Amino acid sequence: MEQAPAITEQVALLEQRFRTLNKVMTTKAAIAQTPKELVWTLNKAKLYRYIPVVPKEERHGTPLLLVFALMNRPYILDLRPGHSFVEFLVSRGYDVYLLDWGVPGPEDKHLKFDDYAMDYIPRAIRKVKAISGTEEFSMLGWCIGAILTTIYASMLPNDGLRNLILLTAPLDFGNKQDITFARWTDEKYFDVEKVLAAFGNMPGEMIDYGAKALKPVENYIGNYVKLWDNLDNPQIVEAWHAMNTWVTDNIPLAGGAFRQLIVDLYQNNRLMMGEMIIHGQRVDLGQLQANLLTVIAEGDHITPPCQSEAILSKVASRDKEIFRVPGGHIGMMAGSDAHKRTWPHIDEWLGVRSNQKAAGSN
Amino acid sequence: MGEGQAGGSKPFDPLESFRGLRDIYLDTMAKAMVEAVNTESYAKTSGAMLDTTLTMSAPLREGLEKSMVQVLEQLSLPSRQDIITLAERFTNLEMRLDDMDAKLDRILGLSHPTQPGVPAETAAKPVVPAAPRVKSNPASTKPAVSVATHTPAAAAKPAAGPKQAAPAKKALNSVPARIAARKGAK
Repeated sequence: MEQAPAITEQVALLEQRFRTLNKVMTTKAAIAQTPKELVWTLNKAKLYRYIPVVPKEERHGTPLLLVFALMNRPYILDLRPGHSFVEFLVSRGYDVYLLDWGVPGPEDKHLKFDDYAMDYIPRAIRKVKAISGTEEFSMLGWCIGAILTTIYASMLPNDGLRNLILLTAPLDFGNKQDITFARWTDEKYFDVEKVLAAFGNMPGEMIDYGAKALKPVENYIGNYVKLWDNLDNPQIVEAWHAMNTWVTDNIPLAGGAFRQLIVDLYQNNRLMMGEMIIHGQRVDLGQLQANLLTVIAEGDHITPPCQSEAILSKVASRDKEIFRVPGGHIGMMAGSDAHKRTWPHIDEWLGVRSNQKAAGSN
Repeated sequence: MGEGQAGGSKPFDPLESFRGLRDIYLDTMAKAMVEAVNTESYAKTSGAMLDTTLTMSAPLREGLEKSMVQVLEQLSLPSRQDIITLAERFTNLEMRLDDMDAKLDRILGLSHPTQPGVPAETAAKPVVPAAPRVKSNPASTKPAVSVATHTPAAAAKPAAGPKQAAPAKKALNSVPARIAARKGAK
């Protein structure tokens, strides 16, 4: 007889769990909450400036431009209040700008790294300089954003780039044994032209499948098991909800850029070999002079550490450093420990290199 | 009481052992699958599946596209290609406008150092002589005024506070406001 209330309680608990599960699986979390203003647009690209919260005289003199990958939304950098890298930077006195590439349409299928690195980024930088009133700036590139910023920094070494931070940068594709994507996209098995003829742009769903298939059990089962086990913990549920909102928000990759990623990089490693051609010119990594910080996630299965290490021996930067952190491709910056390890180190490195007097100081 | 709390606070969970087994199974499966997908045979199989799917769907897709173009033509409606062409022209126009915007900013920066061409946050600040910069760079062949106007922020940087700068920033960051400011400057 005493078991009846206990069973009722269990049923109520189960019902509540299903309600929570339904909510996090079918709704979008409130993400990208840090106040910002739109300061420039071009085609689908948008440049945002985050509203400073530190008085100008206490801010760092060098503005920082964040460049994220092309095939995911950049709000992973500003995921949710209290767990936002952007919010952290703004509170530390940086003048932060974010370049959001937007969603490429069928009309953008010809866009290549050439366009992103040499047309869009320089124009956005022009705007950053105009607004912040400095000739020097810092840039942070993550994943394919790191490829683009590296190309830009090598092609235009005298454009005022003072500090370059590369996060999980897939630059060296020489070690095919350790790069699963390189196996999958080998020209023996993967016909990039056939894919692009069918779709124009590389569909976001296919990119998402590729990323998840690297760790199928974790992504398709373990992730949901972890949620189910923690449905009574609001903090974990909130974090899961925000991350799931980002993970499921897939966008396509422009066809031209996808072709370069596969043919020039995954199949032929042209950037590291000094054979990559952008706007008719060879990309010479030896021209990159900015202070360089490369952040490597030791457990990264999308960009294994071997892809980000060789850059240091190729560039002309005198001030260069590799920083290794535990964690995965995204967890390194958006995981629960990011604010204890990765963010403070980036702040420490960048802070001392961002305090020169703005405009004209060399 | 204390003993009861220490020893019996956690209720018996019949599923606990099941969870333990499940986690071990998932860990083992995860490791096996990571190894499986990182093999030549997986790459070959997945590549073949994708290739077959694309080859089989190509005639259907092409037929559908052709008939859709014909239908749209009959209805005097623009096709996807027409819209793509238009969108590309818009982007080209945007690029040209962006270039013109930059050139205009430079020209205004030269002729009116405190007008929109000047970086927003420094616009409200008084311009100080650029002589020290020229001194520090004796190799420069540019006259002092040219240096000051080319990089107005350099001259304006040392003075004024955020209270002055804030309205200028807000006013000048939006495109309509900048156009209005230019008209005013003329």
